[in-house]
Amino acid sequence: MKISSKWITTILLTFLSIALVFVLNPDGQLRILANLLTFAGIYALAAIGLNVHFGLTGLLNFGHASFMGVGAYVTLLLIPHAAGREGEINENGLPFLAALAIGIVAAALFGLLLGLPAMRLRGDYLAIVTIAAAEIFRLLIRDLESITGGVYGIINFSDALQKYRPVFFDEAVARLDLAPAQIWVGLLSWLTVFIVLLLLKRLSASPWGRALRAVREDEDAVRALGKNAVWLKLQSFMLGAGIAGIAGVFLAFNYGSVQTTIFVPLLTFYVWAIMILGGVGSLTGPIFGSIIFWAIISETDKIASLIFENADGQQLAGVRFMLVGLLIMMLMIFRPSGLLGKKEELLLNVK
Amino acid sequence: MIDQLGNGLLLGIIISVASVALSLLYSVTRIVNFAHGEIIALGAILTLFFSNPVDSRVIYLDRFSPLGMDFFISAALAVILCGVFGGLLELCLFRPLRKAEVGNIAILVVTIGLSIFIRHLYLIFATGRVQNFPLELERRVTYLFFDMTPRNFRVLIAGLVVMVLIGLFLTFTRIGKAMRAVRDSGELASISGINSDNIILFTWISSSMLAGLAGIFQAIINDVRYNMGFLILLLIFAGTVLGGIGTSFGAMVGGLLIGIFVQVSVAFPFMEGHTEAKNAVALAIMIVILLFRPQGIFGQKERIS
Repeated sequence: MKISSKWITTILLTFLSIALVFVLNPDGQLRILANLLTFAGIYALAAIGLNVHFGLTGLLNFGHASFMGVGAYVTLLLIPHAAGREGEINENGLPFLAALAIGIVAAALFGLLLGLPAMRLRGDYLAIVTIAAAEIFRLLIRDLESITGGVYGIINFSDALQKYRPVFFDEAVARLDLAPAQIWVGLLSWLTVFIVLLLLKRLSASPWGRALRAVREDEDAVRALGKNAVWLKLQSFMLGAGIAGIAGVFLAFNYGSVQTTIFVPLLTFYVWAIMILGGVGSLTGPIFGSIIFWAIISETDKIASLIFENADGQQLAGVRFMLVGLLIMMLMIFRPSGLLGKKEELLLNVK
Repeated sequence: MIDQLGNGLLLGIIISVASVALSLLYSVTRIVNFAHGEIIALGAILTLFFSNPVDSRVIYLDRFSPLGMDFFISAALAVILCGVFGGLLELCLFRPLRKAEVGNIAILVVTIGLSIFIRHLYLIFATGRVQNFPLELERRVTYLFFDMTPRNFRVLIAGLVVMVLIGLFLTFTRIGKAMRAVRDSGELASISGINSDNIILFTWISSSMLAGLAGIFQAIINDVRYNMGFLILLLIFAGTVLGGIGTSFGAMVGGLLIGIFVQVSVAFPFMEGHTEAKNAVALAIMIVILLFRPQGIFGQKERIS
């Protein structure tokens, strides 16, 4: 592979943002780094899924949080868990991997369900429909308290994944004075990121991947060549949704509990920011985008406390989200192709 | 069900005014403005800041203290400032983007970023907690067959008057006609001597003033929150889509219908104990409308797939 200036800048920026963590935190850097890398891995996975939708196929999906939510809720409800106000315990359940597989399929099917009607719509309408559908999903989850735990959410499910943690892993992590449970989730999510990326690399180079990109560039031409453009778009929607579903599951395990407040539109916008930063249409872009994004996010508290004297939690959260909004705006105006994207591959006009 | 009609009309008038504003902007500029909700909140927050008594600590940071002005003057000033804000957005952000021929999907994403940015600016500098305008509490009175406070009733009337005025303005004035001309075809309009830049600037200003007014209505009826605009943004989209995107008259009716439907749906038998999910019903209606009658109730057929 030719090393271009784009790559040098990206890797440099990634190292700089990690260095920022070490500069701004006199102690406990390793713990902070582990935390942000775990989040980065999970969100990178979600951004990879979104990139299949927007980068590869040109579908303007603003309901990504709901795909993550479907994956998380279906998986968690199938493994042993406790849910609801009383914390009703459900000890029977499937093994984690079986539940995860069903969760992924459920997220993909939700993508199909949403995609079937939405595929008929033009870009900006699709954006409105997907964000509305994601809100409907969230409101329904909150409403169906008897199944999903409603606002009280689901707890006590972590063991289903953590029990596979090997003993030597615990010892190694404990030596570094880190929390083994989180490192385990982080490790698995990064592992998944690489597996998914390998798969996508094969897929996007295959005839199928080329056909998807052709749909993005000129749907009518694809139709004229006898390909079923709608079915291709649906497949892409399902694939991206399935990947988002895995990200949702890891996100839930990283938090240790899920509530409906996790899957709000802001989650979708976070993933969008990461995808744009990494580079729309770039396979590896989300990895770097996610690390840089989370390094900045995790240090905003420090930056905010420079601006405000004794800022409270609400203000710190405000500064964090402000930065996210500003980042999305600035990138879209000044560098819509992000760090690793290709400008000519970017779909920015309604077709 | 009839009890909820009054609430429905009130929510409807808020959504209706805001939908007209959104629809006006979309029809002239083709921008789906996700930051619309933040202009709505700006109207309410500015009114709160101008009208609150000087000694009350409403504003989040101690640096600013409210001005204690008359409520109506405050509201008028807030609406004007919303217009100024909208004009500045066009001049400093969206006009340069248009001149640089940035695609409209990119602009849509920019408005999302803008929305997140401004909303959290409010969270930091304005209203971290739920607040109310300094207005006296009133008892509900029965009008015809629904109950509401006299103040809310006046809001309803004011909203209807505003709608009629917009309708007259778009139909009969020169600038209103020019706006419709730019909507139908920007190029044809500029050939016939209309300065489309000026018309778009005017549209931003008037759309933002209407949004600010909707925010003041919403704050009178409910309260002031930093995210009050974002909370009803999807309902505004629903109202706009239901009436027909780009049609002002459609947006008025669509907004009213969505508002009424959201509130009345609480009284449906199958919604018993599920009142929290009432917005979901309105959003589902919007999706169904987009699928089966994408031009809405009053819109003209247009390719949207």
